[in-house]
Amino acid sequence: MRKESGPTGRCPDIDITPYPIEEPGQSRLRLFQVLITLLPAALAIPLFLCAGPIYALLALSVAAVSFMVAGYYIGRIARANEQKCKLDLQLIQSQKLAAIGELSSGIAHEINNPLAIIGQEVEWMKHLMKEAGCGSNTPVGGMSEFNDSLIEIGRQVDRCREITHKLLDFARKKEPLIQAVDMNRLIEDMAKLVEKEARQRNVLIERNYQADLPLVRTDPPLLRQVVLNLLNNANWAIEDRGVITISTMRAGKNAVEFMVSDTGCGIPPENLDKIFDPFFTTKPPGKGTGLGLSICHGIISKLGGSISVDSEVGKGTTFTVHLPAETTKGNN
Amino acid sequence: MSEFRVLIVDDEIDFLETLVKRLKKRKLDAVGVASGEKALDILDRERFDVVILDVRMPGLDGIETLKEIKRRTPLTEVIMLTGHASVESGMQGMQSGAFDYVIKPAGIDDLIEKLNQARERKLLHEERIRSDRKVP
Repeated sequence: MRKESGPTGRCPDIDITPYPIEEPGQSRLRLFQVLITLLPAALAIPLFLCAGPIYALLALSVAAVSFMVAGYYIGRIARANEQKCKLDLQLIQSQKLAAIGELSSGIAHEINNPLAIIGQEVEWMKHLMKEAGCGSNTPVGGMSEFNDSLIEIGRQVDRCREITHKLLDFARKKEPLIQAVDMNRLIEDMAKLVEKEARQRNVLIERNYQADLPLVRTDPPLLRQVVLNLLNNANWAIEDRGVITISTMRAGKNAVEFMVSDTGCGIPPENLDKIFDPFFTTKPPGKGTGLGLSICHGIISKLGGSISVDSEVGKGTTFTVHLPAETTKGNN
Repeated sequence: MSEFRVLIVDDEIDFLETLVKRLKKRKLDAVGVASGEKALDILDRERFDVVILDVRMPGLDGIETLKEIKRRTPLTEVIMLTGHASVESGMQGMQSGAFDYVIKPAGIDDLIEKLNQARERKLLHEERIRSDRKVP
């Protein structure tokens, strides 16, 4: 992802603001802990006066125990809350993507038909021009400019068509076809494809493959698309000279992970939660549709996995993809 | 199970003929044609499981041929073969429904493994369509 300052200003910014996430209410929980400790502790004084020091000590130790027990449970509640917040955010993200996907595929569909008609009319006009003897090879008077205009219209129609097709692709609910995949090999194949171009720009690719990775049951061409996209982004994030590191590893018993890191420009924090949104791009107009990462996100969720990003401006970016393995011993 | 039929499309005739020979030796029913147009032609008349498609060809190039194949017979799996790696065309190819993208020269064992995987995918696809029809 090439960083470019300033607004992108090409596509309508569809902003679906997530509902505010409830604060964990940590301070209220802490107050509860103090209260539950103070109660037996306060009892210690009248107990000391009425029943002697042993009962007071007993009350104090009850206070100490309740302090610790309450602290333990409050910690757990806080952690659960944090996890819930994270899941909520993920849910919002995927709901948002689904909503935008639906909307944009609807628009793409509507625009496709008039686009096809414009394209046809252009072809027809070219044909008429040729018949009238002023085709592209015979520049008669002002006709050559006319011809250039027609060609340009055709070119722009093609450009629009490319975008609408990508959008329709993005939203198409194609069920994955599951095959056994050697992840290291799949990734290495794509790395080789990127390596030549990377080397020309003084970008090295470092491999960190875990050798005994279980076979992953997933959709190979879809996964290739994701890997290639991430590698291409990593390559373009580096201006000149840098390293792309690809790692694969087991993640627990039934999952694998792969990471693509670059030493490139990094992504500013304010963009970090937008990079999976369709149409979000920092490339200049015409250079990218801003659909690459949202397609990746869509594919990985379809494959039952998750994708996340970590980035620091000036240092680089790491994408991590987590995939269920459904370990199958032996070959396909 | 019917025979495994592979169509190879490449404008470099020497490469094409050698590859056809080598695949035939491995008991694959391989046929070679020298252009995208010829590929579409023969695909209209005959059934193939997997197509190996060169990216850079005069006339209809690899990506255009791929799109047309996927439009006419979506179940045919296509492996793109390229002499010089271009990431842009790789991404385009994968997005347009290619099964894999392989850089020349590819080892014959590697290629055959990929062919088998592509064919497995086609069979899975056909199976799914059959079972979908049964359920309605």
